[in-house]
Amino acid sequence: MNKILFFAHLKDAVGEEFIQMDVSGKKVSEVKELIAKEYQLGKLESAMAAINEEFSSDDDLIQSGDEIAFIPPVSGG
Amino acid sequence: MYERYSRQMLFTPIGPSGQEKIRTKHVLMIGAGALGSSNGEILTRAGIGKLTIVDRDYVEASNLQRQQLYTEEDVERKLPKAVAAERRLKAINSDVDIRSIVGDATPEMLEELVKDIDLIIDATDNFETRMAINDISQKFQIPWIYGACVGSFGMSFTIIPGQTPCLNCLLKSIPVQGQTCDTVGIIAPTVQMVVAHQTAEALKILVEDWDAIRHSFVSFDLWRNQYSSIKMSKAKDEGCLSCGTARTYPYLEKENLMKSEVLCGRDTVQIRPSKHGEIDLNELSTHLSGLHYEVKGNPYLLSVEMGTNRMVIFKDGRALIHGTKDISQARSIYQRILG
Repeated sequence: MNKILFFAHLKDAVGEEFIQMDVSGKKVSEVKELIAKEYQLGKLESAMAAINEEFSSDDDLIQSGDEIAFIPPVSGG
Repeated sequence: MYERYSRQMLFTPIGPSGQEKIRTKHVLMIGAGALGSSNGEILTRAGIGKLTIVDRDYVEASNLQRQQLYTEEDVERKLPKAVAAERRLKAINSDVDIRSIVGDATPEMLEELVKDIDLIIDATDNFETRMAINDISQKFQIPWIYGACVGSFGMSFTIIPGQTPCLNCLLKSIPVQGQTCDTVGIIAPTVQMVVAHQTAEALKILVEDWDAIRHSFVSFDLWRNQYSSIKMSKAKDEGCLSCGTARTYPYLEKENLMKSEVLCGRDTVQIRPSKHGEIDLNELSTHLSGLHYEVKGNPYLLSVEMGTNRMVIFKDGRALIHGTKDISQARSIYQRILG
């Protein structure tokens, strides 16, 4: 099982601060696709992803128990 | 002579020698909106040697809730932010040599300005300019501090050439349709929290306390009580075109820049973004009409009324800004809505 956390407007779009889902064995890019489809999120592609509070790239593989976070970069200033 | 800085000098990591260093440093600040107001004030009070401010906008009533340098009088006089900021900051600390430039921070301008700069503070409101700052930082080996906020959500990351990953390592490309303060709002505490992170890092850099630099990417949501600190040691990408081994500084190249042109005789500026990707017009339309914008559209384009201007946005991100011949005003209007 994996815990998937959402930040900023992603959290509003999903309606939860985090969800539980088994995504072990999948790449980060696959998880992005899966969640984008499930919650109809258009903008997940450009979100930064972290696995266990460490920056991860689209090709990184997720292990069982990993905590994943999606953080959308914002531009306001 | 240094009485006014005595409390900062009592802070051990700075001390009298740190204060001497701060006095000799030149900071370039891009943007004088909310992040710029607060960054500018803290650095000016800290007694840096020189501050150069670049901003293309003028002060409006909707700025006053969070842009702490400006007053109702600045709004009445429609003063350029860079000019109003310079006046206010000079009144706060006459020790600091403050210069203001009213204009768009283009790569050409940045290349000219960075000659004797020790640090670049990001106080801009769009990723086009940030990616240009990022390339300039790598090309001239000058640290810069990314900061951004929207709503109650903010983030910051310190980029030191040769030591940390750069913004292009993290984002790979300019994010499509980032949220902006003009579309989802902003509360002042978010600004202050981002600036607290930026200016603490700035002071470390100015006193050359390199070991103290924060290497994590920090983000927080002050309303939803979320805090996150992501380790970035794995983020450095040797293939990065901005900081890798075969670097080309893509965001300084003319063909990759946002293109804008005045359409002759139409009182209209056309903007073509450098980012590739489709805009979800339905989502944007729902979002903008939920605020106070008058929006009309069809499957191909969206027309948004914005005071005396009208912006027509196409699916590919191209836009026509009607009611102006001023390119920098048009770019400002565009980036307010599309980031």
